Amino acid sequence: MSEFKSGFFVGGESCNGRVLVVDDEPDIRKVVRMTLHKAGYDVLEAENGEKAIETINYGENRLLLDVIICDIRMPKVNGIEAIAYFRQNYPRVPLIVLTGFPDTDMATSLLRQGVVDYLVKPVEGEKLKASVARAMEQRELAHL
Amino acid sequence: MTTISPTMSHRQTEHQDSNPVPAPPPMRVAIIGAGRGGVALLDALHQIRTIQIVGIVDLNPSAPGLKRAQELKVPVYHEVADLITHQELNLVMDVTGDPAMESALRKTVPTGTDVVNGQTSRLLWLLVQHESTLQTELLHAEKLAGIGSFAAGIAHDMNNPLQLILGLAENLTDETDLEAVHLQAHDIIEAVKRTTAICRDLTSYSRRASLRQDCLMSINGKLDEALKIARYAVALQDIDIRKLYQPDVVVKGNPDELLHVFVNLITNAVQAMEHHGTLTLETTATADATQVRVTDTGSGISPELLGRIFDPFFTTKPPGKGTGLGLYNIKNVIHHMNGTIGVESQVGRGSTFTLIFPNETVAGERSAQS
Repeated sequence: MSEFKSGFFVGGESCNGRVLVVDDEPDIRKVVRMTLHKAGYDVLEAENGEKAIETINYGENRLLLDVIICDIRMPKVNGIEAIAYFRQNYPRVPLIVLTGFPDTDMATSLLRQGVVDYLVKPVEGEKLKASVARAMEQRELAHL
Repeated sequence: MTTISPTMSHRQTEHQDSNPVPAPPPMRVAIIGAGRGGVALLDALHQIRTIQIVGIVDLNPSAPGLKRAQELKVPVYHEVADLITHQELNLVMDVTGDPAMESALRKTVPTGTDVVNGQTSRLLWLLVQHESTLQTELLHAEKLAGIGSFAAGIAHDMNNPLQLILGLAENLTDETDLEAVHLQAHDIIEAVKRTTAICRDLTSYSRRASLRQDCLMSINGKLDEALKIARYAVALQDIDIRKLYQPDVVVKGNPDELLHVFVNLITNAVQAMEHHGTLTLETTATADATQVRVTDTGSGISPELLGRIFDPFFTTKPPGKGTGLGLYNIKNVIHHMNGTIGVESQVGRGSTFTLIFPNETVAGERSAQS
């Protein structure tokens, strides 16, 4: 059994992990935050790939970011470009794709690149939480 | 070997041939009868470059073909003799269906001029009508084929509000704060309205072009409507859109068909820019003409291809990605509106499509309305 515990403390409260949600729709970021916050995660937001890259490179996020949930169709730096950046620069941070457009070819290609899950909106809260939990396990394994 | 500078601008209108062979003199045609047959012939023949309609005649001054002839700047005559003598005609087309006219023409038409009348004339009219139906069907088929490319955009725009609705509804199952319940219920209602708006826009766009009579419409409004539809086909989020609209610019035509024209031009422009660049939509109205310009900063069109872009089934897209009928249909719609379409392009710099509609009819309608 690993002694490593991904959780940390935010404002005195125990936290299951830190998740970055990348989506150009504020509504999507809002509901994902709502769902994951209830499940005890600390949620950061970015409105496109460019902001997401800025966020992960900012301060302690470099070390403490556990999971990235990323949309595909976004302005500036889109999801595909952002995911390529994360895989290259942060290969240990698990990625979940949350997209509005189900595309089998794209899903296959992204999963081959190491994306943990390819979720199509609208996704139920339980399914999203289960996916993040799986990603967290992978994150913990990466620290072994 | 001749090389062409990539910065050199090339122009092309649908009236120009890519290969400049000396054109034969146009066939000079006169139309007798300005009823339904006369209107159909005018509409068909005036689009053919090698035909010159010398004039149309009808004894009834309120015959619909005479008004149409004025719109097309075709000379109108009130006496048959005035039209068919001293005009060096190649062909007289009698669409009156009147046996008396048939025998009168036999006597008066000069030698060397052919006459089409009776059942031959009726057959021609039927063929013209059939061709017009085929063009409408082709336009609709091409529009429906294009809607396939909307799938990604529709899915994005439908599934995002659905995600919000699902997430909020799940949260409401155990939300205890009454104020939060009210706010989230309100957000759900707004999200449902957004999804219904998408369905409304698309069902309206995908319907068959209405057969209602042409009407005056705001060009600026149609361009804005087209932008809303085009964003399902192409990602506009990284496109800088510049609208240089002159206020209150109107044009006469079929609103459904013009919307389709603008959606196609905007979609082509964005695809040429590979989703990054500036799209400029410009409308101007002068005393002579109303003009619409759609400019992109994309890859441009090479001079070798420029002469073929309005040809049917010409496409540079991979199989299954384009029908090659987009610009061909656009050209037909613009012609029906008595307008012209031209393109200027520089490889590596971008393209501008210019639509010009003569203003005479618009001005006439305006004064009639006021």
